[in-house]
Amino acid sequence: MKKTILLLAALGAVTAATAQKLVIKGSDTLGAKLVPMLAEDYKARHAGVTFEIAAEGSTTGISAIIDGTAQIGMSSRRAKPTEVSAATAKGVSMKPIIVAFDGIGVIVNQGNPLAALTRRQVEQIFAGDITDWSQVGGTPGKISIYTRNTSSGTYADFKELAMKKRDYASSSQKMAGNEQIAAEVAKNPNGIGYVGLAYLHDPGIKTVAIDGALPSEESVIAKKYPYARPTFYYTNGEPTGEAAKFVEFTLSDEGQKVVRKVGFVPVRVLN
Amino acid sequence: MVGPRFGPTTGTQFNDNPDRPIMLHLKSKLLALAAALLCAGTAFAQDSGPLIDILVRKGLITDQEGEDLRSELTKDFAANSAAGKLNLGSHLTEFKLGGDVRLRHQVETQAPQNGTVSNERTRERFRFRFNGDALMQKGWGAGFALETASAADSGNQTLENGNNDYNLYLARAYVSWRPNLNWMFAGGKQKNPFYTTDMVWDSDINPQGVTEIHTRFIGAKDTLEFRAGQLLMDDNNETGIGRAGRDAWLFAQQAVYTHWFGKDAIGNVVNSLVIAPGFMLYNDSTLSGLDNETPFNGTTDGLAVFTMPGEVNWMNVAGAGTSVKLYWDFAYNLEAERRVRKVYGLANQPKDAAAWLVGVGYGSGTGKVQGDYSVKLDYRSLGTGSLDVNLSDSDWAFGRVNQEGFKLAAAYNLTDFASFNATYFHTTDKRETQTSAVSNLDHSQILQLDLVVKF
Repeated sequence: MKKTILLLAALGAVTAATAQKLVIKGSDTLGAKLVPMLAEDYKARHAGVTFEIAAEGSTTGISAIIDGTAQIGMSSRRAKPTEVSAATAKGVSMKPIIVAFDGIGVIVNQGNPLAALTRRQVEQIFAGDITDWSQVGGTPGKISIYTRNTSSGTYADFKELAMKKRDYASSSQKMAGNEQIAAEVAKNPNGIGYVGLAYLHDPGIKTVAIDGALPSEESVIAKKYPYARPTFYYTNGEPTGEAAKFVEFTLSDEGQKVVRKVGFVPVRVLN
Repeated sequence: MVGPRFGPTTGTQFNDNPDRPIMLHLKSKLLALAAALLCAGTAFAQDSGPLIDILVRKGLITDQEGEDLRSELTKDFAANSAAGKLNLGSHLTEFKLGGDVRLRHQVETQAPQNGTVSNERTRERFRFRFNGDALMQKGWGAGFALETASAADSGNQTLENGNNDYNLYLARAYVSWRPNLNWMFAGGKQKNPFYTTDMVWDSDINPQGVTEIHTRFIGAKDTLEFRAGQLLMDDNNETGIGRAGRDAWLFAQQAVYTHWFGKDAIGNVVNSLVIAPGFMLYNDSTLSGLDNETPFNGTTDGLAVFTMPGEVNWMNVAGAGTSVKLYWDFAYNLEAERRVRKVYGLANQPKDAAAWLVGVGYGSGTGKVQGDYSVKLDYRSLGTGSLDVNLSDSDWAFGRVNQEGFKLAAAYNLTDFASFNATYFHTTDKRETQTSAVSNLDHSQILQLDLVVKF
């Protein structure tokens, strides 16, 4: 009996020693759905690997790489020079790996006759310079602007991508998520808002072409659509061990299909 | 030989496929540029984003290669440039840091009325100033200034006490908001927003409170501004009785009219006339703790001062860039009698309600370029009850009233950022047998030789 217990204990110790734990921290954009789903698929293929995923914002992901408290940092933005400087001071080499593109579509009410806007017009509408649809060739009516709330990464991203970092119009209404923006624009004939690519087909809304380009996987990958940004994994130098395998899986066709499934744009055209 | 099929690569005219060489040429140019970027790193890191985007868009490099390139440039920028270590908010549209150091040799004579001594001394002094001014989105601004010496009317620190170190003081800390070209609001300790000469307002004094400016543009040649300030002169404990229980306030308002006239050789309107009538009204309160050159720690009672400064500038009078300036100021205290007799305690003295200044200047250049120079001479007369001694120039007659005399100033730019200045003041009393400390100076002289270096 004693021998059996000892054997089981030894087996347990060996199992624990071989179990790999991957710590991933950072962006809630990536960490809310995409990375957990990738982790589930990865675990199904690699028994014994466990994940600790903390999605508390891109800044925490980059800090975690600098501090060495995670193997992979998720980020929906590039590391700032000050962060790179802090990393270098600690002997950390920040390595960005593009894992997906995040596109933002501009939507209006289904009944709005407007089909296209220029980038300048979008900036002016969301900044409050243009307040009536007639100023951009639409049916007269006061424009109602719907944006994400200030805590959302997309709120800041849209400012950077579409508004030259200007502030939103004071009249803009802040919504909790993509669904809420799409729902409000669907209800309001004078509404305009922005949502992720996965929400462009919600009922009652239509997507506006920007400088002649509609948001799609193809236009984002071909760099024809302006409101798209890369999202990243950050590692300390080239990834190694289990982290390297997980990065490889993320970039594989299987991983990129998951990327597409949760509403992001893959990094390349998939077969 | 006919043009070679795989001929010279420096031109495309020899190739039978016109598309491919052009593409190759473009590719090689862009890739060479990318390589140059990597080599030039620091200098171009922050400007390279659009170029990398073009390389990716044209398919010359992949997204990941572009990202690696961008990352390398950022690392280089962060490691090798000071700017790469600065983390400024994206709401900032401009952040300006600057300041100056002034080294001064000063010789002075200060002779009191009925005195048997003529206080003469020489001082070696310096002034350090460091300013930060931020402009933000939607017309907001904020800033600060640090400088040596705590006195409101001077940033000078005399070299003394055996190499002891010296204090720095907060000379400005303000917030401003300019919603459009017509309005400007500011609060806190700020630069003097009024158009003044140093007869009424020492240029070192930064008022504290709130100020408003409304600007009206009248055609292309005229501007009318209305400026107002509600300025706190002293904070008193409200549990006190009478004037001792009231904070001391200065309510200042001014209209500044500017007219542009005449034309230079290329048709620009360059001459100007400025007239700026104003009124400064104090409430009746006590003042204490002032450490001006000649402070009046008494009350603000008896001060309701009408002012009328102005100037005319004629440009290019003796060649391009030269100018002649005629400037003046006039002040009249409507409550001078009360000020002289009750506040200063000069029962049998006339109120001497008026002060005036007339000056002329000549300059070459703007004072910002090596070789620029200027000379100014003014004569002024300050009646005992004419204005607030806590605001007037601390160098002219050591900040006292009941004086008349002149100020001669010359400046020469040694470089674009360094100048040599010489200033001489000479004053004598208007009336004798005054007993108040603000008016009992017999005569004074000051010579200041300055080296100013801006950074």
